[in-house]
Amino acid sequence: MRARTTSLPGAKRSRTRSPRFRAGGLGALTIGVVLVLAGCGGAEGEDEVGAAEPITLYTCSSDETVQPIIAEFEEANPGARVELFRAPTGELNARVASDIRSGGLRADVIWGCDPLTMQSFVDQDLVGGWVPDNASGIPDNFRTDDYVGAHVLYMVAIHHTDAPAPEAWRDLASGEYEVAIPDPAVAASALGTLGYFAQSPDLGMDLYEDLRSNGAVQVSTPDEVTIGVAQGVYDAGVTIATSAYQAKEDGSPIDVVWPEPGAVAVYGPVALANESSDSQTAKDFISFVVGEEGQTTVAESGSYPTMRDVGGPTVPDGAPVVFPDWAAIGQDQDTLLSEYQKLFGG
Amino acid sequence: MRGDAATTAVRRGALVAVATLTVVLVLFPLVRLAQTVGQETGGDLTPLLSSPGLGTAVRNTLVLAAAVTLLAVPGGTALALALRRSDVPWRSFWRVAVLLPMLVPDFVLAYSWTQAYGRAGFTETLAGIGWDGLLGPVGVTVVVTVNAVPLAFLVVAVGLATRAEPDLERAARASGAHPATVLRTVTLPLLRPALAAASVLVFVLTLATFAIPVVMGTPAGFSTVTTRIYANLSLGADPFSFVEAVALALLLVLLAGLVVVPADAVLGPRLRARRVAASDTGSLDTGGPGGGRWVAATLAGYLLVTLVLPLVALVAAAVTRAVGVPPVPSNWTLDNFEAVMTGRTFEAVTRSVVLAVAAASLLTVLGGCVAVLERRRSGRWLSSLITLTLVLPGSTLAVALLISYGRWLADTLALILLAYLAKLWAFAHRPISGALDRLPPDEMYAARSSGATLLTAVRTVALRPLAPALAGAWLICFLTALHEVTMSSLLYGPGSETLAVVVLNSQELGRIGPTAALSVVLSLLLVVPGVLFWLVMRRLRVPDRPPESRPVEVLDVG
Amino acid sequence: MSADRTAGGRADLGLEARDVCVEYDGQPALRSVSLTVAPGHVLALLGPSGAGKSTLLHAVAGFLTPSSGEIRVNGHLVASGSRAEPANRRDVAVVFQNYALWPHMSALDTVAYPARRRGVGRASARAEALDILERLGIAHLAHRRPSELSGGEQQRVGLARALARHAAVYLFDEPTAHLDAHLRGVFLEELVSRQRATGAAALYATHDAEEALGLADEVALLHAGRVVQLGTPQQVYDEPVDLWAARLTGPASVVTAPEGSGRLLVRPEWACLGGGVEGTFDGRLREVWFRGPHSDYLVSSAFGTLVVREPGPPAHRPGEHVSWSLRRSWRLTDDGSDGRDRAPSLT
Repeated sequence: MRARTTSLPGAKRSRTRSPRFRAGGLGALTIGVVLVLAGCGGAEGEDEVGAAEPITLYTCSSDETVQPIIAEFEEANPGARVELFRAPTGELNARVASDIRSGGLRADVIWGCDPLTMQSFVDQDLVGGWVPDNASGIPDNFRTDDYVGAHVLYMVAIHHTDAPAPEAWRDLASGEYEVAIPDPAVAASALGTLGYFAQSPDLGMDLYEDLRSNGAVQVSTPDEVTIGVAQGVYDAGVTIATSAYQAKEDGSPIDVVWPEPGAVAVYGPVALANESSDSQTAKDFISFVVGEEGQTTVAESGSYPTMRDVGGPTVPDGAPVVFPDWAAIGQDQDTLLSEYQKLFGG
Repeated sequence: MRGDAATTAVRRGALVAVATLTVVLVLFPLVRLAQTVGQETGGDLTPLLSSPGLGTAVRNTLVLAAAVTLLAVPGGTALALALRRSDVPWRSFWRVAVLLPMLVPDFVLAYSWTQAYGRAGFTETLAGIGWDGLLGPVGVTVVVTVNAVPLAFLVVAVGLATRAEPDLERAARASGAHPATVLRTVTLPLLRPALAAASVLVFVLTLATFAIPVVMGTPAGFSTVTTRIYANLSLGADPFSFVEAVALALLLVLLAGLVVVPADAVLGPRLRARRVAASDTGSLDTGGPGGGRWVAATLAGYLLVTLVLPLVALVAAAVTRAVGVPPVPSNWTLDNFEAVMTGRTFEAVTRSVVLAVAAASLLTVLGGCVAVLERRRSGRWLSSLITLTLVLPGSTLAVALLISYGRWLADTLALILLAYLAKLWAFAHRPISGALDRLPPDEMYAARSSGATLLTAVRTVALRPLAPALAGAWLICFLTALHEVTMSSLLYGPGSETLAVVVLNSQELGRIGPTAALSVVLSLLLVVPGVLFWLVMRRLRVPDRPPESRPVEVLDVG
Repeated sequence: MSADRTAGGRADLGLEARDVCVEYDGQPALRSVSLTVAPGHVLALLGPSGAGKSTLLHAVAGFLTPSSGEIRVNGHLVASGSRAEPANRRDVAVVFQNYALWPHMSALDTVAYPARRRGVGRASARAEALDILERLGIAHLAHRRPSELSGGEQQRVGLARALARHAAVYLFDEPTAHLDAHLRGVFLEELVSRQRATGAAALYATHDAEEALGLADEVALLHAGRVVQLGTPQQVYDEPVDLWAARLTGPASVVTAPEGSGRLLVRPEWACLGGGVEGTFDGRLREVWFRGPHSDYLVSSAFGTLVVREPGPPAHRPGEHVSWSLRRSWRLTDDGSDGRDRAPSLT
């Protein structure tokens, strides 16, 4: 005889949480919580008398650089408020892409970490078309008609103290070193470097091919390169100058080299969102950042400023620097990446 | 009858709530993602599908998922069987300890393994032994397996408790079967549904694994669909990359759906225990002395290698002055911890804890609802559906939610909460579902016929035996929400930074020290709830009793 | 220990347990239990739940190890000190209270299982199994799964499986607990006839006195892990060692002795209404129950309240004055305790 599973009319096997349950109580509860949390976070601006609307800044530069800038700007402009979204380049891009598809870019100002990404934003009609009057204080190499550079990353070479110092970029591919390079799909600075090398007549994609055939490893970020070399996992690598000097100062056994023909300068541009072209606060902010005050703050925070003679870390005397042709690289970007990924995987 | 009306009202309320949330958290975002792909490719997927390296990534993902399943399910089963013996010293401790590799955030696990066993790692510095193959497919497989074994263990342990009652195995032994034969002829066949369920879960979760391949696979050129999605989103400024990322995510959902939906349909009814198990704790008297001590020793060794040593290496990195200097006491410093424990960190931790508590509580309730609703045939699709968000990589789920609700909820904690709910819902209902199976229906009937309404009966009769499962579900959701990094870093806004943001910022600062310090702090944040949980479980657990004082219930036969 | 030759000609030595102690989580579950079951005999373990019946069975079967004491099955030492032979190597078979049938195997395969473990090929094992099922009258259920069987059928399959083991000792763990009265009777009949036919010894645990007295050759009364009394059914019924044992083994009334002091055990059928040889006493009828073949009268008197059983339908009504007398009685110990801490008395 079959066993029967009986059930009383209307009975259920069991439930969980108890007396709070009324019909739909759960739904009400969830919605309630969501609404409460929707109130939290987000702009908490109680409008002060005469206060301007807060502006939103998207950036991928480090907290250490951005926070003091914001603080000083708000001090210099009472009533102004800057709301910050700070994420690594990759996440920043994803955020912008999602914004676009859900009602439009929510940033008023974007402070990027490389010109290529910013250029693509310009090409998508998101930002650009305006530069502050004091933009002329920034060298030509670091600005265009749509955006102005606020800080610079220099891609340098580092090597473990046990290994000989490479003098030129070429030396890294000579087979003497086990090399680590950062991933251009993750780090914009690496992308800029890739672009520069690929377009440089002496180096070209051959450099990467040689690196690959000599066992070079691609890691994610320039910082991982620094760490890897410091730990002795690799002999040498390509990384950002600030990261390298910091590690050296901490006591890691590495040395920094600005190789021939030059360290690659990748500047981080600031641009105004097209939708916010009537926001005076946003314009003021950009002017501040590329003005003397802002640049001094950038320098004090430990990053290389774009403006000259404002203190902070400087390029060592006689160290060669090269400035990539971003427009040209931008056009070839896809080809470059896919060629690179054929070598180093994606 | 008044009782009936109340019951129906409650049930209907739950159904409405669950259905609404399923649409909000699962269906709508998926639809929007599909829409994005459709719109931006104009329906033509060929350029997408012929992307170089895509085939490799897909193949890697599938092979990884298969390999991990083939390793983790037998591993978890062995653990569950071994911990059933009553002669294992400190048994209740081990039952919690084996869960630790799953509770440690997977990026911490991956990171600490590289610190411990990689080149220039802890073991190499101290003993000259390093594992060169750590970075790459083998290393990724091993660490993902270590992360997945506890999950398989949980599922199989529940299966053992409900289907493989001790008397069935005693009958086999008394019929002349060796312990190994008992395993082969009685225990494992009874466990088949549980084994299948564990395999499905592990497979799907491995499809979605991200942090471990990124930390340990990418440096060696080993890519998976998830790392590819991440790379694509990083180039998200380029519309093509963005669409490829979304399309790949949908591919993962499809793969998962292909596995989960049929499995749930076939296994669902079989997993439901038709007989109520004897309510003993599932301990087995094996009669063989000393075996238990071997089990304990093996477990200790396993946890030492897979968890303790890596975490020690992590702590060492956290207190070391700089990268590359040996981790000897003269180089120790607490600077890294100082750098990390700022006011902003505390704020972020508080927010994360609040969010995690809210998420865990809501999820336990929601999970319970689904566990109840899926017992009827009409509700079975529910559990398959919510498993789909489990497989969506965090970054894509975040993007999906942003696209769907960004207009109204951008930069709010609510959006992050929704992300947690969507991602973790599947975690919540399975343990509760398993526990519901073991609830004897007679006890509920007795309460009802003694005059209790449905709710009162639940509160007074069902809640106590369900408490461990509810507590377990709550804890898992709490810890996972607390450690969630990917989605929060995309969805946060000013004023709603979570712990994730702090961790990422520190990673960006580039020094191992602060990152390791934060990871240590994160891991400590789980010790306290873990210990509390263990204490609660000890009180709630039915103690071992001699054979005849265990009540035995039998299937109701006509 | 002499070998017994049974009708079947096998030299079986039955079961012997000596000073078996079992501790569970620090608490003693069995205290120094000793008993012997000769081949072909049934020893019933009678006691309330928690007394240690299942623990003893599990110790004999090999599911747990006694902390001290010896157990011999068919002359072989299977447990001594803390060393124990595994269950599958002992010459025992077990019938479980909740049947313990494997849900994924048909009745036929379940009963064939012990033969398969002996190394018999599948076809022969199945043939043997079918044979046993036939003898129990359930061959038509051979291909059913447990979920398709009723309780009684399941229990018979369990019995068949035990029989297939051809063991020297059978252990029954309250096998009829979940069967209705009719099924119980049928099952017990089969059980006893099968077991005697094979010449094996049987240890039968139950909390039902009637069942124990009915089928056992010897009864052991178990209380809190100790054997309180060991004797034939007649002995434990007529001459229980204390009040507790008396109450366990059947309906019991206690009265003060009419002559002298002390207390007497009076079973319902030991008293009668009306005058008697030894003396007649007065009483008042409090309640009457008609039981079918006889009637029970609750009589209160100067010596206490007792139940008197008389054949036939009720002849008196409650409230009436009646006279009663004792045909026989049994003197209980004077210390007035329930016998809980008494040393085991061997008769």
